[in-house]
Amino acid sequence: MTIIKNSIETPEPKTDKAFNHIDELLHGNPNLWRGCDMAGQGSHGRSTGFSQLDDILPGRGWPNNGLMEVITPQWGMGELQLLIPLMRSIIEQGKWILWISPPYLLYAPALAQAGISTDQILVVKLDTSCKDALWSMEKALQTENCGLVLAWQNWLPGKVLRRLQLAAETGNTLGVLFKHYDSEHSPSPIRLKIKDSQSQKPNFFNAEISVIKARGNFRPLSTHIDLYQYN
Amino acid sequence: MEDPNDTVQFSQPAATTNGSAQIIKLPLPSTSGESSGLDPGQSQQKPINPSINSSTSGAAGGHIRAHTPLWYALYFPQLDELSEARQQKILNLLAGIAESISSTVSFHPLALICEIRSSLKYFGDINAIHNKLEPLLTNQLQELQLPKYFLYSASPTITGSLLLARSGHNALVYQKENLRSALSLLPIEVLQLHKEQNRRLYNMGVRYLRDIWRLPSDGLRKRFGSDFINQLNKALGKAPEPTQNYLPPPAFITSYDLPYELENLDRLLPVADELLAQLCDFLRRRDLSTSHLQFFLLHEKRNSTVIDMGLRQASRSQEHIMLLLETHFTNLSIPAPVIALKIEIKKFDAFMNHSNSLFPERNSTAHYSNNNLNKFMEQLRAKLGDNHIKSVSIVAEYCPEHASQQLNYEESIQPNQSNAPVVKNIRPFWLLPEPLLLSIRRGKLYHRKALTIINGPERIETYWWSGTDVCRDYYIAKEENGSRLWIYREKQGERNWYLHGFFS
Repeated sequence: MTIIKNSIETPEPKTDKAFNHIDELLHGNPNLWRGCDMAGQGSHGRSTGFSQLDDILPGRGWPNNGLMEVITPQWGMGELQLLIPLMRSIIEQGKWILWISPPYLLYAPALAQAGISTDQILVVKLDTSCKDALWSMEKALQTENCGLVLAWQNWLPGKVLRRLQLAAETGNTLGVLFKHYDSEHSPSPIRLKIKDSQSQKPNFFNAEISVIKARGNFRPLSTHIDLYQYN
Repeated sequence: MEDPNDTVQFSQPAATTNGSAQIIKLPLPSTSGESSGLDPGQSQQKPINPSINSSTSGAAGGHIRAHTPLWYALYFPQLDELSEARQQKILNLLAGIAESISSTVSFHPLALICEIRSSLKYFGDINAIHNKLEPLLTNQLQELQLPKYFLYSASPTITGSLLLARSGHNALVYQKENLRSALSLLPIEVLQLHKEQNRRLYNMGVRYLRDIWRLPSDGLRKRFGSDFINQLNKALGKAPEPTQNYLPPPAFITSYDLPYELENLDRLLPVADELLAQLCDFLRRRDLSTSHLQFFLLHEKRNSTVIDMGLRQASRSQEHIMLLLETHFTNLSIPAPVIALKIEIKKFDAFMNHSNSLFPERNSTAHYSNNNLNKFMEQLRAKLGDNHIKSVSIVAEYCPEHASQQLNYEESIQPNQSNAPVVKNIRPFWLLPEPLLLSIRRGKLYHRKALTIINGPERIETYWWSGTDVCRDYYIAKEENGSRLWIYREKQGERNWYLHGFFS
């Protein structure tokens, strides 16, 4: 957090007009990455709906396509709450959300409460074999009709992940993998970890999100966000 | 027996005695023993009136034009009581059977008419045709639980045959010249006129068709309209008779015998592609598409492996079907080498294409993408099987485990517009299939770790009417490691605590 604050607060040198002009040019180009300055990344991502999280993600939001890993020590840490704004915008675009082998029954009233229409949701059941699940995930990522593919798979080798990443880029789709354990050398462009906020009094709403890795970001960052604000 | 038009000799005893009798008696329904099923009005007419024979015996012409059609009418009076749609359906069925004796079968009210001149040479004679057809038709009628009799007759005109059949004469008239005298003895009821017209004819003293022949046609036309005259002219072969012919439903089965046995399914793909090309060509020519087809892999001395392909949206795209087939092949294990391939179309659909309009329609892209989506769904279904893809929907129920349902994707084609009220209290994303009993240790609830209740209770009481009473207090709890759980306590019985879901 402190790093962010510093970077935002650092005033840009405004004495030299020419320098200012160059700075503007640099800011305007989303393809140019300035290693030490997150603020200069522009906003080419899709807003997460949580402003604190936007601040620590490159591109100020979720990437438009690619693979993302969300790591939670166990299910039920608010990992889906994190994605509610994203799911809503995907549904509004008329695209489908595919849930591949979720660990429990997906509960429709909760979706309705979150404002997510159930008409464009498909679930591939848990008892599907891992091979078939991966196959359908790859196909879904390649299909432009699916805006978001959520999958629950714990151990995937790097080769598979790279393949899924490629598929996601072809279909311009975002894939999210939910895992229990972090694997250090995973090729996915974004890895997030959700931790319980360590405050003493039990707080239902707060959680700590740390970005373990994000392509375009050079050091791990974390923030506290109020996960259940969308209910 | 030879074609009676070419040779005047008849093997029929009745015919030979007359030299060139134009009306012969066909086997009557009574011979097969179901005359009891006939109402008395029809059964009393069954002996052929000898006067018809005698009146026409002199008019025999040795030379008869070749290729005069001969129309064989099958009349089913029992269909009269059924609804029109059902009549049409049954006639369609029967026409399919009648196709076994004739290539031209046409539909008429309560009747089918087949052209049998062209079949006479093949079957030998008309009795052979009748003997072949009768058991088939009676079987079918019996299956439909209808009285299993029908009336029949044959003559050179369609309307003439129909009139003869309606009269119950079961007669055969070979020559057009004799038709007038054969028809003349029929009562006017066979014309099936309106009540009013019947009454007027009766008042004019007209009882039989021959009475009509004697009247001037101009006057008749004035009094009874041109349809009436037209019908009579058609019966005599003086007016053309347009018909609505039976078209057999399309069918497509094709197979290919492999020159050698194959075990590698990938090697089959080029052959399958070839067959699919034929299939798509067939569909394109008939402007059809298919939504269900079956692919058979035949093995030696074994049952063939069947690949059943249901398409969500009817298609005739070779690439699409090929892609589905490849997907099926990846899952398939064959018990023995394949010796032949067979494709059969099970269901035909009309071909629907999207219009290539000049101005882009607003929802055309949506349609296109929908199409893409359907293809993707089909591929998923082909790979995973029908039961593995579910859609979720809300049900208006208070009981938490019944408030959400998972349906097979096929069953929920219509977007479910159930306006189930959204509950105010927060619900979890994950629900356990079965509630899990929680333990209590040292006064604290335990799942994997100790739980702290954050919120609650929310009482849910329902199903008191069904015997399995649901009466629970729901709480939101937080586990020490950070998960948020949805737990409840039973208000009755042992008052146990259960875990029912996870907030995710």
